[in-house]
Amino acid sequence: MAENHPVGFQWVMEAKEQHGAKVIHVDPRFSRTSAVANIWVPLRAGSDILFLGALIRYVLENELFFREYVEHYTNASVIIPEDFKDTEELGGIFSGWNAEKKSYNPESWLYEGVERDGRTQQTAPGGTQGGHAQHGASVSPNLNNYKQDRTLQHPRCVFQLLRKHFARYTPEMVEQYCGLSKDAFLHAARTFCEASGPDKTGAICYALGWTQHSSGVQMIRCAAILQLLLGNMGRPGGGILALRGHASIQGSTDVPTLYDILPGYLSMPKFGEESKSLADYIAKYGARTGWWNNLDKYIVSLLKAYYGEAAQPENDFGFHWLPRITGDHSHQGYWLDMLDGKMDGLFVMGQNPAVAGPNSGMERRGLGKLKWLVVREMVETETASFWYASPEVKRGELKTEEIQTEVFLLPAAGHAEKDGTFTNTQRLLQWRQKAVDPPGDCRSENWFMYHLGVILKQKAKRDPRPRNAGLLALTWDYSTEGKHQEVVAEEILQEINGRTTGNGELMQGFTSLKADGSTACGCWIYSGVFPKPGENRANERASRDFHGHGWGFAWPSDRRVLYNRASARPDGKPWSERKKLVWWDAENKKWTGNDVPDFVATKPPDYQPPENSVGDAALAGDKPFILHADGFGWIWVPVGLNDGPLPAYYEPLESPVRNPLYPKRQSNPVADKKTRPGNEYATSPDPKFPFVLTTYRLTEHHTAGGMSRTLPHLAELQPEMFCEMSVELAEQLSITPGQWVTIVTARGAIEAHALVTPRMQMLAIDGKPVHQVGLPFHWGYSGLVKGDIGNDLVAISEEPNVRIMETKGLLCNVIRGKRETNLQAIRDLRPEKG
Amino acid sequence: MKSPSKPKATEERLDEIREAALKAGSAQGPQTGESYYGLPVLKAPVWTWEVPLYFFLGGISGVSACIGFIAQLFRSDPAFVRVCFWIALIGASICPILLIADLGRPKRFLNMLRVFKLRSAMSMGAWILVAFSNCAFLAVLCFELILRGLANPFLISLLWLLEGSAAITGLLLASYTGVLIGATAVPVWSQNRELLPAHFLTSGLGGSAAILELAGFLIPATQVLGFVASGIETLIEIFLEVRKRPVDVPLHHGRSGKALRIAGLLEGPAALLVRAFLGASHTGRYAAAVCFLLGSLLSRYAWIWAGRASAEDPHALFNLQRKV
Amino acid sequence: MARTAFLTDATVCIGCKACEVACKEWNEVPDDGMVWSGFSYDNTKSLGASTWRHVLFLEQPSVAGPQIADTKDPFRWIFLSDVCKHCANAGCLEACPTGSIVRTEVGSVFVQPDVCNGCGYCVVSCPFGVIDKRPDDGRAFKCTFCYDRQKAGLIPACAKACPTQSIQFGDLDELRLRGRNRVQELQERGYKDARIYNPEETSVGGIHASFVILGEPEAYNLPPAPEVPTVYLKSAWTSALVSAAILVAIVCAAFAF
Repeated sequence: MAENHPVGFQWVMEAKEQHGAKVIHVDPRFSRTSAVANIWVPLRAGSDILFLGALIRYVLENELFFREYVEHYTNASVIIPEDFKDTEELGGIFSGWNAEKKSYNPESWLYEGVERDGRTQQTAPGGTQGGHAQHGASVSPNLNNYKQDRTLQHPRCVFQLLRKHFARYTPEMVEQYCGLSKDAFLHAARTFCEASGPDKTGAICYALGWTQHSSGVQMIRCAAILQLLLGNMGRPGGGILALRGHASIQGSTDVPTLYDILPGYLSMPKFGEESKSLADYIAKYGARTGWWNNLDKYIVSLLKAYYGEAAQPENDFGFHWLPRITGDHSHQGYWLDMLDGKMDGLFVMGQNPAVAGPNSGMERRGLGKLKWLVVREMVETETASFWYASPEVKRGELKTEEIQTEVFLLPAAGHAEKDGTFTNTQRLLQWRQKAVDPPGDCRSENWFMYHLGVILKQKAKRDPRPRNAGLLALTWDYSTEGKHQEVVAEEILQEINGRTTGNGELMQGFTSLKADGSTACGCWIYSGVFPKPGENRANERASRDFHGHGWGFAWPSDRRVLYNRASARPDGKPWSERKKLVWWDAENKKWTGNDVPDFVATKPPDYQPPENSVGDAALAGDKPFILHADGFGWIWVPVGLNDGPLPAYYEPLESPVRNPLYPKRQSNPVADKKTRPGNEYATSPDPKFPFVLTTYRLTEHHTAGGMSRTLPHLAELQPEMFCEMSVELAEQLSITPGQWVTIVTARGAIEAHALVTPRMQMLAIDGKPVHQVGLPFHWGYSGLVKGDIGNDLVAISEEPNVRIMETKGLLCNVIRGKRETNLQAIRDLRPEKG
Repeated sequence: MKSPSKPKATEERLDEIREAALKAGSAQGPQTGESYYGLPVLKAPVWTWEVPLYFFLGGISGVSACIGFIAQLFRSDPAFVRVCFWIALIGASICPILLIADLGRPKRFLNMLRVFKLRSAMSMGAWILVAFSNCAFLAVLCFELILRGLANPFLISLLWLLEGSAAITGLLLASYTGVLIGATAVPVWSQNRELLPAHFLTSGLGGSAAILELAGFLIPATQVLGFVASGIETLIEIFLEVRKRPVDVPLHHGRSGKALRIAGLLEGPAALLVRAFLGASHTGRYAAAVCFLLGSLLSRYAWIWAGRASAEDPHALFNLQRKV
Repeated sequence: MARTAFLTDATVCIGCKACEVACKEWNEVPDDGMVWSGFSYDNTKSLGASTWRHVLFLEQPSVAGPQIADTKDPFRWIFLSDVCKHCANAGCLEACPTGSIVRTEVGSVFVQPDVCNGCGYCVVSCPFGVIDKRPDDGRAFKCTFCYDRQKAGLIPACAKACPTQSIQFGDLDELRLRGRNRVQELQERGYKDARIYNPEETSVGGIHASFVILGEPEAYNLPPAPEVPTVYLKSAWTSALVSAAILVAIVCAAFAF
């Protein structure tokens, strides 16, 4: 966190220095965070679930879980049907596995007593499933129909299944296969567990070290289980902080640039039964109980925002104008289509796949298959210059004359040259004011998309095909100002906030949204950010408490801690004075406190739902997790994930050892390796690629380097590509500190300086030494400082739920000397590439 | 990746440091031990070739004025005195040009006269040079006027005054440069701060006598001065060879050490022996004079190079200060 | 105006280099070369004419106080943001022959860029190796203590940018006290080798930018006993004058014959 969120890290330092908080850092390398942590433990890249599972086991075996919290607020007491079989029983897979389709039928994961109606059938990877909206916007209407054992003793209750599932995730296994000592593990476990309970909380922060894995979602799930067991969710100083990859990427999933979701984490409709009509869609993704029962209000309001007057009850509010998912349209999905010549053109805005994409060499080749490419950037990035400057062209593997892609490089405005918001990792919307006009022809994204839309709509007017009906129906009537006719960004924020369609009055919040077409809202979770004309809450800058109220707007409704009902006991009183956040004010009969309660304000703690209630009213007054149909925090995920209700340990797709827990299931069976020429894999283990490779970032550079390697003050801080290796590995390979080395994987070979340092530790894995090599991924072939591209080494692969690639925990080899001196050696390692 | 603004030496120097770190301990990368990766603590002097040349010429011209004045005091040949002051004047004319050329912003040379700072040897030096130049110029002017028949009591008194002033400021000019580099943070300079003014003065003395000999004044006085100067330089050379303090490493090793040794040998024993055994003949005296001059010039460069090497060695500084 | 100062605390520095960048951005300092050093994450290497804040990265085979790092051998990584010390008795100021380098009303040492003529004497007079001449410009440069910002009631750019308050700015006496208290607190927490770096007992007389460090100053390339070079003047001038007197005697003797 200190490396990549140094400004946010000041709060961690303050907690440590002034309030005695303990900072535990778990990372394959000793980074700048480790340097100031109380405890650092190394970890073999990719072995996280073993480590986390052992932590879970530690909590269970030592009875350190927060009993009252677990019993009331989690589904630990819920009973699972008999036909569920765990990975411990089936040698590494759960019940419901379909080997042919390489996917699960997850019906046996549902709670006992919940009706199985065949709707929970998962589709195969490579199919149309996208996971970002599979949050348990339950596909089974009766998830609330569970059976419980509040004593947590029933052999098939979640709590006992959890115990059995993680029984073999022992500290000894951790020492043997993760590479940290047992003592260190126990010390870290003890320290973290001591920081939980009624009086204390602990937080878990993670970033791409977890997400960019073939079991990334399940790693995060382990953290969720831990935090639920320890009673840290929904409490101040607790919870899980997902440190996002760069500024405002939180915003780009909220109001998404992802293919499988609509604003506010609604699902993009998939081609098929579920999206024949709006009612089908709502039936599939709405929930009978819990907050997602309100789905209809949100989707209708979104459609009204998109299509305005053209969206009416008679035409399903224009639902059929929304595109349908017909395949894997994720970045990697469509990029492979691009390589196969199936795509004509691409807009690339604020992204640099030629450097940042997985198997970036292959992605660069993909660019050459397009007919046209539009790059909107402040500088000429590697993506814009691939056709003449890429390593493939420089080495003669591709010829510029033969690349048919027409490349348009359009200048973009910088962040101080346009109005807009950032939504950062803590769900906080902060308005940014334009400070200066952009120079020359540079324009903002809003300007570009708006004026492009205007032109397209004009063209559509002359083209009566049905495909253009949606385009014509789109409301596109923002005001523009200034000599550049820049869009008034506040109008967009107001549209996102929502208005009543009748009189155009701004919405106060999403609880006022309706499903009858009388409200329009561009993103329901943001509603409330602009409740009155002139009151742009994202632009507030007067913080009035330590939660930050008065500074910006945290969705939803300025709640700073989600699920904060859990910060109070079932009876509504705070767990402790020290950690009070929200509580029930019996006198005024409402929830109150130091944060906006994430709960219906008037629902008393002892509320019991009447028979056949729907929506939020179907959840009792002691159910904080209102977006789940059962109101529980999910230790067990009954629906929504493609690779299991519980996290199971799998090795990464390339690994130096066989899976110690499930030898028959080496890696995540549902992950998609997308193996094809150019995207090959090493075996696990592989004598040709004996070292573990992990990629990461440095403070000094920003992602693919377009914004840092082009600025002298940043470029000079880290001017050249380097790899980090242990002293032992350097000795073994006779590498002089600082000299050039070539790093080779099954995908590619690059060169970098060798930074030899004790910060990379040689690990003992299964009694054998395993070396890890670390690579920052910031360099490319344009800018003031250039270097080889780290992601040339990474494979295109897809995690089962969100299709993210595995950039850490790969296998590599390291050879002394620059790349051009090692061409034969590289060929020997990868004979199929020639 | 070389940057256009940094000299090539930097990348190579880093390789040197990494090699040294490697030799120090297996394949481990450089770690901070007694210094920060062996990087220099101090900044190396930024002066270019003009400065040692200025030291050399300043020494000669300064001492020349003194010699001229004392010669006149002892009623020597006026032609001799005249040449002494002409040497002083020529030197005093070239010296400012050299210094101005070395400045980062030459057009701002007059800023040297904004302050008069006793605590700054360079400020003192600027004023000394100004004073010396003016005195030398005016002395020569008076001298020439008197030679052309404008002698009168006022002018003659003025001449004495100017010559005397030139002599005093000339001695300061010839010696202050030793103070200049001695009163700095550079270890090999500051730890030789008593030696340096004496050495520069001696070097100036011998150099001045040598120039006078080459100008044709093969008189007993210049022979004596030649002997004394090279004799003292010989003693200095022996002293430097015998004394082996860690801080003096640049005086014995590396480019500066080699140069200083050659310079010392030329100024000292070589000049002395040539003068002793061949000094009877004109050629012998010329040879001894040239020998001394070469050594004197080289010595100035060697001391500057030694300063650079000393500034770049963090251990020189730490060893010095840890003893304290 | 009261004397202002820096206190830079290595124990809360996270090595982010925001100080280096903020300083350069505010003061329009050019880049200092794009050369990879291989010295941990420090490619800046030292202060200079075009680097006025320099973050050091020390990899040391010892433990940082009570930190637990699961390594075979003890290990720690320390960061420190180095800066011009703004000495109470400043070598550069004493040496400057144009009067360009002056003491400001806030107690800092300031190079007036419109006066400096690039003579280079300050460069060899700084016992900390801070000030240097910029080759393509000709003048000497160093940290200005953001004199322009202070005059406008702002704090220096580096202190403003530092996210963890490793760089503290304020009244000189108050920061010296704070530094001592911090070292005491660190010692109590188990950082036995925590110390203040503020050489008050040498001729430098104390610095206005002091540091909280772990371990020996040499590891940070901080001189353990820096002297302001004016202390060398007396013996050097004495030698010059005595030598001059002797020379006069010799020359007299030569002509007395």
